[in-house]
Amino acid sequence: MTRLGVALLFLFIAAGCNRPVQPGDPIPGLARAERDRFARGKVVFDSEFTPHTGLGPLFNSTACGECHEDPKAGGRGDEVEIHATAFSGGVCDPLVQEGGPVIQQHATPALKQALGIDSEPFPPSASARAMRTSPVVFGRGLLDLVPDSLILSYADPDDRNHDGVRGRPNRSLDGRIGRFGRKAFVPTLREFNAGAFPAEMGVTDPEQPTEENIGGKPIPPGVDSTADPEINQEALELADDFVRFLAPPTPAKLGKEGRRGRELFSQIGCATCHIPTLRTGDSPVPALRRREFAAYTDLLLHDLGPELADICLGRAAPADFRTEPLLDLRDATKFLHDGRATTLEQAVDLHGGEGAAARNGFKVLTPADRAALIAFLKSL
Amino acid sequence: MHRTTRTAAVAAVLLIPLTFSSPAHPRGARRIDTAQAAPSYTYVGTVHAVNARAGSLDLITGVGMALRLVHMTTQPTTLFAGAGASLRLRALQPGDIVRTECRSTPTGMVASRIEKVEAQKP
Repeated sequence: MTRLGVALLFLFIAAGCNRPVQPGDPIPGLARAERDRFARGKVVFDSEFTPHTGLGPLFNSTACGECHEDPKAGGRGDEVEIHATAFSGGVCDPLVQEGGPVIQQHATPALKQALGIDSEPFPPSASARAMRTSPVVFGRGLLDLVPDSLILSYADPDDRNHDGVRGRPNRSLDGRIGRFGRKAFVPTLREFNAGAFPAEMGVTDPEQPTEENIGGKPIPPGVDSTADPEINQEALELADDFVRFLAPPTPAKLGKEGRRGRELFSQIGCATCHIPTLRTGDSPVPALRRREFAAYTDLLLHDLGPELADICLGRAAPADFRTEPLLDLRDATKFLHDGRATTLEQAVDLHGGEGAAARNGFKVLTPADRAALIAFLKSL
Repeated sequence: MHRTTRTAAVAAVLLIPLTFSSPAHPRGARRIDTAQAAPSYTYVGTVHAVNARAGSLDLITGVGMALRLVHMTTQPTTLFAGAGASLRLRALQPGDIVRTECRSTPTGMVASRIEKVEAQKP
């Protein structure tokens, strides 16, 4: 090979290495077998279920990819679902005896025929209702590997540093530290994914092989004749790997305004909770192991004030929300857990409670600085 | 270690429909077989309700957001433990985290041991 050829090859490889990760791309550096599982997992993720293949009898959607689709598989969706729990005496009841906290909005024809319902009955004991948008699931495999010790190192429930921010972890039903979901109730990505099949599509799997009841009553005979579990271990693991290997998109290159916005993001206190980078711990997947990545979250709960308060979940009180990872904001058109904000400015403005100081800091910025901060956020 | 535990739990859950038809056994239910005794299960979850008079306990378990309720009864022989000390059923409250060892019987799950556990502190 000539010197010119070698130089061109080097440039070609260098250009390939620097190619920005796009939404829907796998984590760079996966082995061939892992990329193969990513591709096969995407097929499961996009598979449409029918009552014959396990859908329902109650469900929110017919496929993972129906709600996580924009701009690519694993992205956000325009669906908004309903959750409900009861909060009394400081204890949260997820209303499992009345059908659980996820209120499915659709029923199969067989269930409709049997009970005359189009959706899950809203639990009568609920003390609050919450709306939940479908978030992007990019980068979740990295978030899954952030060590508990790192999450706890950011916690300050007693506000010992007197900055008004009291981050604290949520706990799962068995006491482990939670990190997934808007209330950080679920401790691992695997559990979140395994729970999503039955909770969102009514598709039982080997890790949750029983159907949810219908408002506290058993499923009428003949309504759900598909044998449980309705997907097998291989399908579950492939879908799990697809989500696990979805990369966070590379933030856009910042110009002068964006760089100024990034400085302001830290200066006014946004970065206290939206911690810009996290580092993963050990993993059997080398591409995920000990990697620093743009996360913009501390995975902790924070009280965001009464305006945003909705349901409790685990140890999260109604006003507590996990710091949302700021990933793929450039493609977002609705913001916050329920999509009530249609602009980033509105989303910042709606931060109360522990987020109030940063919000107030944003409000007193000059118009040019506010625009710079928004430009930075839109680069993510 | 974690994977081994999960695999065991999944294997246990998969075997359940072959043996029993009624109660729900979500993830976290670990089945232990012996040659002579009825199969037993270990659940770790959050107490939903306690009926001390009836000697029963409702436990919330589950995976992700797919939560399920497990109803179990106690017997005079049920052992209670917590924080290194003995415990009574009436001392448990909604929200407490417990590890229970149960047997599946024709009348439902019967607890042989209930232990109150503290939240994990890594």
